[in-house]
Amino acid sequence: MRGLQAKARGAALGAGLLALTGPVAHAAPARAAMPSYYTAAQAERGAAAYQQFCAVCHGADLGGAFDVPPLVGRFAANWAGAPLGELFDYMAKAMPLFAPGTLTPAQNADLLAFVLRENGAPAGSRELPAIAVGMKGMFFPKMTSASVK
Amino acid sequence: MNSFPDDPKNTPSRLGRRGLFAGSLALGALAGGRWASVPAAAAALRRTAVPGTVPRLVPMRPHADQITDIKVCLRPFRAAGPRLDVERVGEKVVIHNYGHGGSGWSLSWGSAEMAVGKAAALSPRRVAVVGCGVIGLTTALTAQRAGLDVTIYTRDLLPHTRSVRANGSWTPDSRVALTAPAGPQFADTWERMARYSWKSYRDYLGLPGNPIDFRDSYVLSDTPFDAPEPEPENPDHKGDYASTGMPQQSSEFARYGERIRDIIPASELLPAQENPFAVPYARRAPLMIFNFGAYGHLLLSEFHQAGGRIVIREFHTPADMKNLPEPVIINCPGYAARDLWGDRSLIPVRGQTAWLPPQPDVAYGVRYKGASALSKSDGLMIQGFDMSGLGEMDGVGNSFEHADRSEAEKAIGIFENLFARFPAGQG
Repeated sequence: MRGLQAKARGAALGAGLLALTGPVAHAAPARAAMPSYYTAAQAERGAAAYQQFCAVCHGADLGGAFDVPPLVGRFAANWAGAPLGELFDYMAKAMPLFAPGTLTPAQNADLLAFVLRENGAPAGSRELPAIAVGMKGMFFPKMTSASVK
Repeated sequence: MNSFPDDPKNTPSRLGRRGLFAGSLALGALAGGRWASVPAAAAALRRTAVPGTVPRLVPMRPHADQITDIKVCLRPFRAAGPRLDVERVGEKVVIHNYGHGGSGWSLSWGSAEMAVGKAAALSPRRVAVVGCGVIGLTTALTAQRAGLDVTIYTRDLLPHTRSVRANGSWTPDSRVALTAPAGPQFADTWERMARYSWKSYRDYLGLPGNPIDFRDSYVLSDTPFDAPEPEPENPDHKGDYASTGMPQQSSEFARYGERIRDIIPASELLPAQENPFAVPYARRAPLMIFNFGAYGHLLLSEFHQAGGRIVIREFHTPADMKNLPEPVIINCPGYAARDLWGDRSLIPVRGQTAWLPPQPDVAYGVRYKGASALSKSDGLMIQGFDMSGLGEMDGVGNSFEHADRSEAEKAIGIFENLFARFPAGQG
């Protein structure tokens, strides 16, 4: 986990700092606008699933607790720039902690859509596919000051 | 198990593990219906102090001619609760973390965690923390633990910051917000902060110098605790915060303590024969305390050991933030935000503590007649927190940051009188 975090942090550093120090609209044009990977309806389904399977540990507001990592804030930094499929795979294999691997691929895709939404990524017109290889070319977005509240 | 209380083998000194084991067996028996109620079972198990074994309390020596210091604090109160939003100042991202009222110490780690979470989301390599009171220090340490390089910019260091003019005990919902303006969402935020802080503080227990410690706190009353409290306020002509822009009544202040009662030690009513005070009713509960000297030095040492840097600097306007080299700034100025950020929502709530020489053999605190006495490693702290019957309104709107010796002497007099009659029944 530590290695993964370090990798994600390293990947995030360049563009993250650029976005902070330069005018946001002109920094790293390819990545400046957060891409949309999911639909609003999908995130809504994810919200319901989240309350059912995830909120008991990660909190209703995704804030985590003393012994439970939050799914916003530094979580976003840890995953920024990482392939979205890796996060999807991690969720599918490791979560929920009390019954790993018990959620369906569709549920995990919905949950990932919800997590993206809660971290400020915009909704689009295409659903996030329920399979990691379908997420080729998708990366967890880098946060901007506008997405941190 | 019915013979347990009278069994000579189970004298208090021999209880130990066998007693605890017997207790767990007894709980099994409880499931089988041996006791009519949980309190009855608890009494049978003697889970609290065995009668006759309550430690003798060494009396406090509270006399006005022993005053070594009087400290005045201005609690940075905001009706809506602490300011935690994110603001842009030029190219800088400023994450606010101030305005915790009388709960800054208690909520510091949880509030720091939330602020640092926002900062870390932006993946900066380094962050600035403005302010070095308890909120600034815990924020800086939390940021370091999140892997960030941290520079603290501050006008003052401990012990010159307002933080150390508090009384230094666990009071997580003391004038932290008003129920209505803060709304239900802040109650959830508060709970997360309080739980996170409580666990963080536990990490500092049992260390050399006892930076964080527990004291038995005795609350005394001349009337039964379950007697209805007199209503000192006349709501008719005072209005409230919504109509006047200032809190007007005690009942407006938020009380969230019930939300975390599962982790906070409960108080117990002392039976009359166990009550050493010449006051009819006494309640006792362990209270977490913060010893300013040991804890402050420890936090500063940790910050420096982790490579933190401190720059002494006074900011005059928010625009000064633009000149900092760090792209992300966590703003922890406490009450100073009223002037620095022009935040008129900050309302001063004055509080004063008098300090007498330490009495290390006194390991408890007492509250009586609106005053509190607490034995800490850096002194016997005596505070009149509500000696005029104003309740939570005591000190609200008062920014007189000078010592009031007569107030200190009045508070000390309450305990001087109490301990002149101690222990009860003698002299």
